This record gives sequence, C-alpha cells and structure tokens, in this order.
Amino acid sequence: MKPLAVATQSIGNQPIDQSLQTGKRSVRYETILLVIVALVVVIIAIGSHGNFWSSSNLTSLLVDAAITAVPAIGMTMVIVMGGIDVSIGSVVGLTATVAGLAFEQNWPIALVVLLTLATGAIAGLINAWFIASRKLPPIIVTLGTMSIWRAVVYALLGGNWISTIPMTLTAWFVLDKLWIIPWSFVLTVVLVLIAAYMLRRRPMGRHVYAIGSNEEAASVLGLPTKRVKYMAYVSLGALTAIAALMTLGQSPLVQATTGSGFELDVIAAVVIGGTSILGGRGTVIGSLLGAILTQLISDGVILFQIQPFWNGVVTGAMIIIAVIMSLLNQRGAAHE
Amino acid sequence: MSLLALQNISKAFGGTQALSSASIDLNAGRVHAIVGENGAGKSTLIKIIMGVLQPDAGQIVLDGKVAAITTPSEARRLGFSCVYQEPLIFPHLSVLENIFIGHPVIDRFGNFDTAVMREKALPIFRSLGLDPDILPVSISKLRLGYQQLVLIAQALVYDSRLIMFDEPTSILSGAETDHLFDVITFLRQSGKAVVYISHRLEELLAIADEATVLTDGRVVGHTDRSELEPERLLALMAGKATRDYAGSAEQRKQAVQHEGTPVLSVEHLTLDPLFRNVSFSVHQGEVLGLYGQVGAGRSEVALSLFGYLRPKSGTVRLRGQEVRIRSPRQAIAQGIGYLPEDRKLQGIFSFQSISSNLISTVLPRLAGPFANIRWREVAKVVNRFRTDLNIKMGAPGDPIISLSGGGQQKVMIARWMAVNLSVAILDEPTRGIDVVTKRDLHDLIRSLAEQGLAIIVISSDLPEVLAVSTRIMVMNRGSIVASYEEVTDALAEDILGAAIGMPAEEEAQ
Repeated sequence: MKPLAVATQSIGNQPIDQSLQTGKRSVRYETILLVIVALVVVIIAIGSHGNFWSSSNLTSLLVDAAITAVPAIGMTMVIVMGGIDVSIGSVVGLTATVAGLAFEQNWPIALVVLLTLATGAIAGLINAWFIASRKLPPIIVTLGTMSIWRAVVYALLGGNWISTIPMTLTAWFVLDKLWIIPWSFVLTVVLVLIAAYMLRRRPMGRHVYAIGSNEEAASVLGLPTKRVKYMAYVSLGALTAIAALMTLGQSPLVQATTGSGFELDVIAAVVIGGTSILGGRGTVIGSLLGAILTQLISDGVILFQIQPFWNGVVTGAMIIIAVIMSLLNQRGAAHE
Repeated sequence: MSLLALQNISKAFGGTQALSSASIDLNAGRVHAIVGENGAGKSTLIKIIMGVLQPDAGQIVLDGKVAAITTPSEARRLGFSCVYQEPLIFPHLSVLENIFIGHPVIDRFGNFDTAVMREKALPIFRSLGLDPDILPVSISKLRLGYQQLVLIAQALVYDSRLIMFDEPTSILSGAETDHLFDVITFLRQSGKAVVYISHRLEELLAIADEATVLTDGRVVGHTDRSELEPERLLALMAGKATRDYAGSAEQRKQAVQHEGTPVLSVEHLTLDPLFRNVSFSVHQGEVLGLYGQVGAGRSEVALSLFGYLRPKSGTVRLRGQEVRIRSPRQAIAQGIGYLPEDRKLQGIFSFQSISSNLISTVLPRLAGPFANIRWREVAKVVNRFRTDLNIKMGAPGDPIISLSGGGQQKVMIARWMAVNLSVAILDEPTRGIDVVTKRDLHDLIRSLAEQGLAIIVISSDLPEVLAVSTRIMVMNRGSIVASYEEVTDALAEDILGAAIGMPAEEEAQ
C-alpha cells in the first residue's frame, strides 16, 4: 500500500495550531509556583531576622504543610476527575476519634494505625459508592457525609475530649528528623513522588486524566471509569487518616471540632497548585507546592505579627488568581 | 456476503419513529454514503451500530451471523469505529495517549510502554501522512483536521474493519477535506468498510461507491456508483416534501403585497465565521422561511437580531430606523421575539409551572402596586391562551414538563403572543413534535401573520418551510445562497439543491 503524501504537505499548514501557542503558556505552572515559593521564603527569612530558620518554626511549618499535602494527593485525583470531596475535615475528626478511643483502650500502636487507616478508607468507600455506583453529584454526597461524620464524632465523644494520645506519634511525625526535616514531611514527599509516578506513567493514572477530560469518551472507549473513581475516593480517605494521625502527633488532643474546616485548606492547596476545577488537568507536585505556599503565608503572618485576618485575605486572593489562570488556560485550549 | 447487514431495524423515541424497518448492507472495500435531512435517522443508525443504542426490532448480521452489539466497548471489539462530527478526544492527554488509552501497551512493570506504542503508531502515521513528531504533543494543541486524523489512526490501531464518518467535513477547511478524502480512499483500498454521512452532495459524488437515502427513518432509495447522480438523489430526498404536503398550496396564504417600509430589514450582517453578508427584509403579514441545514448559520443570524450575539458589521433597521440591539432585553423592548430551537435548554423553565412559564415575558405588567403578582390577572392570561391555542393541560399550576412537547411549544409561543411583538423569529418551531400538533402550529403561524406580525421561520424541515412561508430564503455555510419570492411545491428540489451545495451550473438553469 502506497503511503499518502505527508499531511503537512498536502494540507499545507502546521499540525499544531499556532494561535494556541503563546510564550507564557510554555512555562510550566509548577515552575512558576516553585519560584513564588522561593521568593516568599526569601522575603519571610529576611523580614523575620532569622526567626524563620529557627528549628521550632521550620518544624511546625513543614508538619503543617505535610498535614495539608497528604490528603491533597487524593484530592488532586478527585478534582482532576471532575469531582470534589468536602467531607475530609469530618473524616479527620472521625479517624482521630477512632484512634483516640483505641488509645484509651491501650491498643498497640500498630493496630491503632491500621484501624485508623481502615476507617478513613471506609469513609472514602462510602463516598465512592454513592458517587461512582449510584451516580450522585459528588458535592451533595460529600456534604451529606460531612454532616454525618461530624455528628458521629459528637456522639462518640459524648461532650468529652480525649488526651491519652501516646507521645510515639509526636516522636514519629514531629520530633524525629532527617537532618532538619521532620519525618512526616519526608513521608509526604515520598507519597507525592509515588503518586506523581502513578499518575504520569500507569494506566490507572492516565485514566484519571482521561475521565476528567471527557467522561463520555472514556466510557464509550470502555475505560474502567467506576473502578478509577473508587480508587481515587478510597485513597483520599486513607490519606486523610494519615493526616489525622499527623495532627494527633502535633497536638495530642481529640475534641468534637477536630478537623473542622480542614477540607477548605486542602482544596485551597490543590487549586493554588494549578489543578483545574473543571477537571482534566493538575499535578500532585503542584498541590504539594500549593500546600507549602499556603502554610508559608500563615507562617509569615505569625512571624511578622500581622493581624491574622490577612492570612485569609492572601489565601483567598491566591485561590481566585489560580482559578483565573486555569480558566484562561482552558479557554486557550478550547477551540471553535 | 456483506460485512455488516442491518435488517429491518426500528427504533422509536417516545412517539417519534427515528428508524422504521431500515435495512442497509455495508461491504468491505466500499464507501457507503448515507444521505438524508436532519432528523432522518442517520445518527440513530450510527449509534445502533456503535452499541450506544439498542434497536427495538430487527437484526444485525455480522459476517453472516446474527450479532448483538450491547455496549460501546463491544462495538469496538467487533472492529467498528466512528469519527464523530466533534472529535471525541481527551484534550489534556497527548496524541499517543489518545490513540492508545482504550487498550494500552503495558510493560512488565505495568507502566505505559511509550516506546512500543510509538513503534505501533509509526507505520499508521506514515500511511496517513501524519508527522510522528506530534505524538507527544497534547492533542488540544492540534488543528481540528489533525485531531480527526488522529482518531482515524486510532481506528486503525484498533484494527477496525468498519469506519464511520459522521459529517466529518463540517469543521474542516478545503485542503483538510481533500486530505481526508485521500485518507478515505486509502481506507477503501485497504479493504475497510467505510460509512460516510454528509449532507454536502458534491462530497458524496466525489467519494461514495453507493448511497442510501433515508427519509423519516425509512430507506427510500439506494443507488450504486453508476447511477449516483445529483438529480436522482435530490428527487429521492425531496420526494417526501411533495408527497406529504401535496395540496397544501391552497391553504397557503397568497404572497402578500410588500410595498412600503419593511418591519425589519437587515443589510450585510456579518459575524465571521458564522455568517457573512446576510441581507433581507420582512414585511408585516409575511412569513419568511429560512431554510438550511443545521450549522448553516441560520440560528446565529436569529440570535444576532435578538441581541444575544454581536454581529461584526452590517445594519439592522426596524420600520426604517437603524437600531443597535445589544441584549435580548433590548430586542424584546423593540418588539422582537425569538423562539429558541432547543426548547429544553433555552426555552422552558423545567421546574416551574405552566403559568409561570407562560407569563415570564409579561411579569412586570401583571404586578400590582407592591410588586405583588396579581394572580387573578395571571389566571385570565393563562386561560385565554389555553382556549385560544387549545393547550391540553391539567391545571395551570402543573409543572410545564407534564405537557407534551407540542403543548410545551404552544406555551412557548403563547409567551411571545402575550407581548406586543412586531417581529417573531421561530427557530425550528416543530422539531420533535407530533404530526397533529405540527399542523396546529402551522395554522397558528399563518394566522399570526394574518394578524399583522412579521414572522421568520427557521427550519430544516422542507415540507414545513413550503407549508408556512410566503417567501423562502436558503442559507448554506453562512451565506444566503438562494431566495424565492413565490412558493410552490415544485420548488422543493431547487431549495434542497441550494441548501446542500449543488454545483453552481445546476442552479443557473
């Protein structure tokens, strides 16, 4: 069979639509974010007269970033697929309560960790069942489970709090360090790298992006859309349980409000990290940088002794800027 | 023996028969064109072959054996693929990933084996004349023509035996179309069965080996290459128009005297690339039929007059006065109403009652001194239209979706009748509506014109245009290509020919 003439010869133009090529977009969003993070570090380090580099500040900054970044891995997958999960703040409360109750019964720590992870995974499984199998809207499902898990936490604690958390967790996640970096942060980086590899190279990961790009095409092609959704929501649940354990290491106290509002921090980190709320694009590396950046801002607000509401203003502004940038990108990619 | 034979396939949606006992044979190494107006059942046919829809009756015979195509992935496994009008792509994935995502090559660690997939794609890319350098590029960066070629490459990677094209050229430039035809010729020579759907006649004549004509879900004709002539196809397609509405001429209002200032006149209206240089005028009491295929730019012209789109140049005059309409609100204030083509998406407020839907255009007028709605007035208005238009409903407070499509459409028209309009633009006023209500609506349109309204009816239903219009204008690819001052049934073939781009010398005669 004689091959056809090269398309560019017979069609007479470049295959790549030049109108979509602008200089700015060829710079990766993550690179821009990394530069911003570095700049903010320099500004805070100079402005705080070295207080930034103190061991206690660095530790609390990195542990805080880790706590946000670990669930952000799962949240990235969920949002890339066009979903959302607002229940994870309550899941932090639920898993922390389960862990606290088990510690009260003097269960061995390995068993408690397993139980906590399982609780988180089951919470994710329940969301996934409603969303992937019953085809209900993610925002509604997770708003529902958010209320339910918070109510369960109140019921389990019965108005008390639990403070019998062993120091082991604090040692693991906060005190023990690799040089100056707490192990919780090292663990986070390892998890992010694994997830980045899975999303980049494994079929399951590419399916996440395919579903987020065009769910109809994905199911017409026979991709396992249901299984991929289960994977994302269940791993988000388990990752949230890890964040709960880290939270207990940082402040060994379980109360009814533990974790409330946490979902917003994580979603903010993911969105600032460049994940499109419309689905289809976003990386876990970006989300990690987003988590670091948001924590840097709140750290800077403390170090500079600025009134704390500025923290909210800056984070909010960053979310809006990130969304605008992603929409501009999306529009650039849209074609008539 | 044919590769795939559809035998007596029927499929109905609600009351509409999309396909009735249609039979088509598809053979390896042949390009089979399917011709028909919008709504003739072409896409239903494709969806049945691709496993997206299941037929109500009839059987599908593959390689001489009866087969059931129950899911889209089953259809792919059997070797069927379809390149849709809008390429079904994953915009954020690379070209290579778009090709292989359905059944990727996995290395022994379970990763995507990019190198092997690339190897597999190279010969196919070469045979389609595609540059392999685009493999790692994100597909959304490619021109549409190339996206389509990538999907053809995907079909070849899947070893498809049957490749269907659904209006593939509507988004392509001339050179891209030529290349696509080269590719289709190549596919035919490689022994693939090709189905080609288009309403551009000259394309069919260029590449089809045989053609089947569908009208209202029925196969009304089949011709081979040797007898594939434009006149014959047109006669088959237009047959329905003259058959269905024979004798409608006496019902038709005689062409009105259009002297004096037209109510609406439009000059050189342009909004590239949607439409160019559109000029026309409508007088009081006229029904101007605007015929053309979907995508010819008809609705876009209407939406520009209604202030929803902003034309780039051209003038619009209302009763001789030049006007600039920047929003639907202004359009309504000037007395222009628009009945949208997609009732569900742009027309009804689905969760609201019949009366709320009906009075939505005149709400301020029905409000009392404290901005309170005067329900008695509302009831009067609703009851008036209920009897005038013979809308069959339970109670005015029932949800609008409890009505039939025809009933909903009557409410949509009543909504505009309640306002003091001078120009009404009706976009596909009877799409998806049963025959009886359709006649009702046609009568209504005629009587509204008699009452002094200037009406523009946009339709891709030729019998409808012939039945209601006092003048007809035809659009094709964004331009007005023909207009007829007097309407007779004998025009059917001419109008159809103009709308689907008959070669120019045919029109000159």
